[in-house]
Amino acid sequence: MAAALEFDGVSKQYNRWYGGRSVTALDRLTLAIEPGEIFGFLGPNGAGKTTAIHLAMGFMRPTAGQGRLLGKPFGDAKTRGRVGFLAENVAFYYRPAEELVRFYGALNDVPRSALKRRSREVLSAVGLLEDRRRNAGKFSRGMLQRVGLAQALINDPELVVLDEPTSALDPLARVTVRELLTSMRNAGKTIFLSSHLLSEVELICDRVAVLNRGQLVRLGRTSDLLRTDHKLEITARGIARDSFPEAQATDAVVRFKVPAEEQRAALERVWNLGGEVVSVNPVRRSLEQLFLELTMSSTPGKDIAS
Amino acid sequence: MKQVGLIAINFVREQRWPILVLMLWVGVLIAMGLVYDLRKAGEEVLFVFKQVAVYGIVFAVFFGASAIHNERKTRRILSVLSKSVGREQYIAGLLCGIIFAVSIYCFAMAMTGTWILRPAGFPAAYVWFLMAYLLVASVLAAAVAVVFSTFLNPLFATLCAICVLALPAAAALRFDSKWASAIPFYPLVGLLMRASFSEKWTPQWDLLALGVLESGLCWLAASWLFSRRDIAVAVD
Repeated sequence: MAAALEFDGVSKQYNRWYGGRSVTALDRLTLAIEPGEIFGFLGPNGAGKTTAIHLAMGFMRPTAGQGRLLGKPFGDAKTRGRVGFLAENVAFYYRPAEELVRFYGALNDVPRSALKRRSREVLSAVGLLEDRRRNAGKFSRGMLQRVGLAQALINDPELVVLDEPTSALDPLARVTVRELLTSMRNAGKTIFLSSHLLSEVELICDRVAVLNRGQLVRLGRTSDLLRTDHKLEITARGIARDSFPEAQATDAVVRFKVPAEEQRAALERVWNLGGEVVSVNPVRRSLEQLFLELTMSSTPGKDIAS
Repeated sequence: MKQVGLIAINFVREQRWPILVLMLWVGVLIAMGLVYDLRKAGEEVLFVFKQVAVYGIVFAVFFGASAIHNERKTRRILSVLSKSVGREQYIAGLLCGIIFAVSIYCFAMAMTGTWILRPAGFPAAYVWFLMAYLLVASVLAAAVAVVFSTFLNPLFATLCAICVLALPAAAALRFDSKWASAIPFYPLVGLLMRASFSEKWTPQWDLLALGVLESGLCWLAASWLFSRRDIAVAVD
C-alpha cells in the first residue's frame, strides 16, 4: 500500500537577501508514513518539524528532493481536500465557531447538505458544541486550538496533519483529543502528529521520528525505541538490599537492574539466598529520556532504525 | 469556482469597515444633493463627484497591495491554503472580492450621481459609463497591485503599482500619445476626470475591454508568481 505521506530526500534552505548566510531548515529528509498509523514527529525548537509539515502542505517548495501526499506530489490542491491540517499558531477569522468550521468545510468541497451535520459532529467531538455560536475571536487559545481541530476534521480526512495540536489544551481536553485521535486511527485514518508533549506521543503514537537540526536522527516503532536492549529490572522478596549492587528496597521488596546476559545468574542467586522472584521486566526508558539523549548528543544521520 | 466565490465573499466581509468608510463618501454626496440646489450647482457637484469617485481607485490599490500581506501576517492564509484551494484560485478570490467591493461603491456612486447630476442636465447614461470606467480602472489598478504584493510588502507594492500604472502616461508625454493606452488606466481615469456638462461623450468600449483583458493577464501573472512563493515564512 502506498505511503500516506512520503518525503524523499527533501531539503529546504532559506536564503537570506543581501548576501547573508543561508539556513538549512531541513536536510535530505526521507520518511514514509504508512496508512492507518499515528506517527509522532519530534524534535527541539528549530529542528525543522514545521518546515517539513509546511512543505507537505504545499505552503513552501523544497529546495531539493520531492514528496508525496496521499500519492500525489506536494502542492496538489485537490489532494489537500482529503487532508486535515491544524497549524501550530492557529489563527482564524472573527466569526461564530460553527460558521467558521462550515467555511473551511465548504473550501474543502464538503457538500452544503452535509455541512451543518458535519460541523456539529466535529464541534461536539472537540467539546465546543455549546459554544458554537460564540465568536471565535473571543475564544481562549485552548478553545481556538479546538476549533482548529474541528476545521481540520470537517472533511472527514484520510490523513490528518497536526502541528502541536494540544499545546494550549487543559488536561481534560488533552484526554479528549487523545481519545479522538485513537478512535480515528481505529477507523483507518492516518495521523501525522508533531508535538512537544512527549508523554502524549509515547501514549498514542505507533511510530516516532526524531528530527534534530534539520536531519532525521531516529525513526522506529515507539515500543522499540523505548526499550533498552541490555538491561532487566528484577524485583525480589526475602533478600537483603546489599545482596546486589545498586539495589533499592521498599516495603520488603528489593529492585535491581542486571544486564540481560546475567539474568539467569541473578535469578539463581536470589533463589540461593532464599528469596522469591516477584517480577522480571525489561528496563524501559521514557520518550523524554530518549529525546534528550538524541537531541543533546546526537550525530545526525546515525541511529535510524527501520 | 466555489472556492473563488467563498474567498471573495470572505474578503468583502473582512474588509467591511474600509468599505463602509468608502461608502461614507457616497453619504457626503447624498448630503450635498439634499443641501444644494442641484439645477444651479451642477458644475460644483460634478467636481466633487469626480473627486469622490477617485477614492475608489485609492481603496482598490490599498486592498490589492495589502490583502496577501495581511493574510500572511495573521497566519489565516495557512488555514485557507491547507484546503482544496489552488494558489490561482486564491488570487482569483482576492481579485473577485476587490471587484465586488469596488462594484458596490461604483454602483452606489452611479445611483447617487444620477440623482444629483441629472437635474442639471448631465445624462444618466454618461454617469453610468463614467462609473464603468472607474470600475475597470480600479480593478486594473488593484490587479497590478496584487501582482506586486505577491513578492513585496504593501508599501513597495503600492509604489510599484503606481509606477507601472503611470508609466504609459509618461511614455505618451515623452514619445507618442498611443502609448497612453498600453495600460489603459490613465485614459480611463482621464475620461472620468475630464467629464463635463459641455463634453460630447461616446462610450469607449475598446478601453474597457483592454482594461478587463489586462486585469485578467495580471491575475495570471500574480497566480504564477504566487505559486512560486513560500508563504509560511515570516512576511517581513
